[in-house]
Parts: sequence; structure tokens; C-alpha cells
Amino acid sequence: MSERPSLWWIDWRLSRDSLVREAIGRFLFFCFLGFALLSLLLSGGASRFLADRYAITVVLRAGVPPAEAEGLARKAAALSPVRSAVYRDPEAAWKEFLRAYPGLDPLRDAGGNPMPGYIEIRIRPDRLTGDDVDLVASALRPVPLVEQVLAGDEWLPRLLRAGRLALWGGWGIFGVFLAGFFLVARLQERARAVALAADFAFLTERGVPEGRLAFFRAAAAAVSGFLLAAAGTAAGGGALFLSLRKFPFLEGGIGPPSDLLLPRTVAAAALFSCGAALLSAAASLLGGRAARSGRK
Amino acid sequence: MIEGFRLGVCSRGTTLWDGLDFAFGDAAAWFVTGPPSSGKTLLLSILRGMRRPDAGDVLVSGESLYRGNAALARAWRASCGHVPEQTVPDARLTVGDLFLRSALAGGGVRESDRKDRTDRLLEMVGLPGASGWRVAELSISERTRSCLAAELLRGPKVLFCDGVIAAAGVPFWEMLWGLFRALAREGNTVVLAERRIPERWALAAGDPEPVGPFRVYRLPCPAADVKGESG
Repeated sequence: MSERPSLWWIDWRLSRDSLVREAIGRFLFFCFLGFALLSLLLSGGASRFLADRYAITVVLRAGVPPAEAEGLARKAAALSPVRSAVYRDPEAAWKEFLRAYPGLDPLRDAGGNPMPGYIEIRIRPDRLTGDDVDLVASALRPVPLVEQVLAGDEWLPRLLRAGRLALWGGWGIFGVFLAGFFLVARLQERARAVALAADFAFLTERGVPEGRLAFFRAAAAAVSGFLLAAAGTAAGGGALFLSLRKFPFLEGGIGPPSDLLLPRTVAAAALFSCGAALLSAAASLLGGRAARSGRK
Repeated sequence: MIEGFRLGVCSRGTTLWDGLDFAFGDAAAWFVTGPPSSGKTLLLSILRGMRRPDAGDVLVSGESLYRGNAALARAWRASCGHVPEQTVPDARLTVGDLFLRSALAGGGVRESDRKDRTDRLLEMVGLPGASGWRVAELSISERTRSCLAAELLRGPKVLFCDGVIAAAGVPFWEMLWGLFRALAREGNTVVLAERRIPERWALAAGDPEPVGPFRVYRLPCPAADVKGESG
């Protein structure tokens, strides 16, 4: 073994037991935070829930040939905010009507099928905003085949505002937990710096600069913070994946498990790990400084 | 060469001493004696670069320790070893931890070397197999000797020992006498601060140089064997 002891991982060398305890605690906390982060990212607060239930209904004029209606549905599906656009012919619309209002069959006897064909447009959860809904509705309204576009203009803004509030609330709670992590980590770092004060004094008396010590401690805290956050987020993601597989009804609010592996989800998890590394380093620096100055 | 020029110290509202000149040559073992509360520990702190004197200056190889640049003072501290007067020990430390800490300060001791040298040094100071012992459970003598051995792990160029002889106890005086002479022969400088010098050492050292409340002895070391002075 030719390992050369250096100031890297100095806390680990001098205070292994307490560091292991702290690392286990932080890992578990990052599992929880990772689960929450990925749930928030996938669900977009309440966006996915709302997007799952909201649809723009484009009522077509009577007598529109199915081929033209389907062509219009394809064009609508090509609009960037649109997740899906499906044409329902008058017969399908009638059946849906009867499912919703059973016992109204006699209406048809009077003068044929009274229901027009329509296109049901679903918006992507991340594009469910007033502007994007307006974009889709205004693109379809001037089309001659279209009789009417039902986009919920009266109640949609309130619904979207409620969705935004839910999203902000979700991120706010996440931020509070992240701040809680930072404060606890700072206290732990301070307590460890106090416990190791004699060792650090020994080293500084022997020519090791205080700044160098603080740098190496913060760097080690950053590396371990990154690894713990990455591992915790991966574990939290695994738990979320299993939850979505076991309880499919959650997909309506959170999203499909496959979305966990989307590049943007992975990038967000990596960004979170980097943030955790920075917070850990800052907690180490501030905790060490507080220990030196004797402040709480 | 460590030189103190016109050193003065104020402590507890009075001048403890002022205008003292010291010169500790390289590759020698020096013995500073003084009565209790005369400022021996303070003097060692000043010479180590840890406490700025209230008057005068300390020069190491011609460079000012307190008026020169900070890097020089840091390099000087890195080249020094220090065995303090024993106080309340850190309850969680073992003797092995003292060596680990010393190795971390040195930054250049390999792990395998550390283990070998730890065993040899502990054996040399009469504490074979003490690596796992808790420092809090050691006697003053054992604690002092284990601290001395831990400092020697880094191979400091200059070793400051505060009350080591008295704390180690009479049975270890011969061992320490041989050790300090050997260190001086290897080209190191040893500065010991004690209340009194063992009689045999005083006889061998000859007349001391009186400096303020202190007496400074140079322990004899065969000049021909001293590295740097021979040839």
C-alpha cells in the first residue's frame, strides 16, 4: 500500500464514525428529496393532472367528409403544444352522448343523428398555458370546416392559475426541505469542526494553512455531497418507478415511468446533484468558520 | 540558526522579560532552564513562530519570522516539531491517532512507512505495541513519550520540547539523552525548555550562558560526527 496521507478526506481520516452516521442520514434525506424532485418534474405540479382532463373540442360543420376531418386532425396534431388530436365521427359522438345521458335514444328517431363530428385535442402537460391554448384555438377557428372551438375560455384562466399555484407550492415545499438540509448540514459540519478543533490546531501549528484545510474539507464535502445526492436521487427515482408500475393510477398525476429516463429528467437530476454538492461545500465552509469564531 | 534579538514579552500586565538575545546554532541540542512562570513556554512559542514577541524579532537563517512574508513563517512551522507540556488529553484519541495526525501535518509520509516507523518509534521511546492505546489512559510520562515519538515521525528539522525531560521521568533520561544527541548528530536542532537540567547533563554541558531569567546550555555532541560540520 503506497497511499500517501493528504488533507483530502481529512474528516474521514480523523472522525470516521460521525462521518458515516452523517452520510447515512444525508443519503436517506436525498432519497426523499430525489423522489420529491422527480415527482415534481414529471407531474409539473398539477399540470399533468390538468392536461389529462382538459381537452379542446373542435366541433365540425355537418356533412364534413371523414377524410377531410381526419386531415384536419392530423394538421392540428402537428401544432407544437398539441399532444394528440383525434377525430370522432358523428356516430361515435352519438354513442358517447348516450353513454353520458342514457335514455335519450328517442332524440335520434325524430330526425336522424343530431350529433356533429368533432376533433378532441389534448395539450402537452408542459404546454398547458393560456397562450398555447389560444394558439391552438386561434389556428382552428378560421378553418371553414370548423363550426365552433370549445376551449373553456371562461374557466380556463382560473384553472391554470390554480395549477401554477400548485406548482409553486410544490417547489416552495421542496425549497424549504432543501434549505432544511443546508441548515442541518451546516450544524453537523460545525459540530464536527468543533470536535476536530484540536486536530486542526495541531495541523495549523505545524504549518498547514487554515485556508488549505478549509478548502480540502469543502472539496471533500462537495464530492461526497454530489455522490450522495446522485445515489439518493437514483434510489428515489427507483422507488418512484416501482410506485408508478405498482399503482398505475398515479400515472395520471405524475406521468409514465418511462419519462424518468428522458434526457431532461436525467439532466435535472444531475443538476440537483451539482446543487447538493455546492450546498454541502458551502455548509462545510460556513460550519467550519462558525466553529472557528465560536458562533452558533 | 535561530536567533532572537532584543526579545521582550509583556504578560499579565507586566513585562516578563525584555531585551533578551538568543542564538541557537544548527545541528545541536540546546537546553533552556528557568524557574516556574519565567516564560519558558512563551519563549518556545515565539521561537516556533506562533506568538509574536512584544519587542524584538526572531530570525531563522537570517530571515525575520515575524516581519518577513507569511509563507516563510509557515514553512518554518512546517519544519518544526513541538512536544507541548502535557495538559488534558483529547479523550477520543489513541496513540496511533497522534501518529496519523503528525503524518497529515507532514503530508509526505506514506501509509506503509507510517506503520513501520510508528512501531519502531514507539519501541524506541519504551512504548512497544502502544499504537492502539487511548491517550487519556496513559500516564504523563507515557503521553509525553508518545507525543515525542509522533513528532519524530515527520522528521522535523527543529524539535521544540516543553517539559519533556521532567514529564518523562528519571528512568527515561538516558534514552532521551541518547536520542537528542543522535538527532543533533543527524543535523537537527533540538531546543528543550525545563525548570531544571539533570545534574549529569549539566556537568557534561559545562557552564550555561545566562540570558535574563534563563540559563542556556548546549549539550555536548561530538563535532566530528555532526553532519554539515564535519569535513
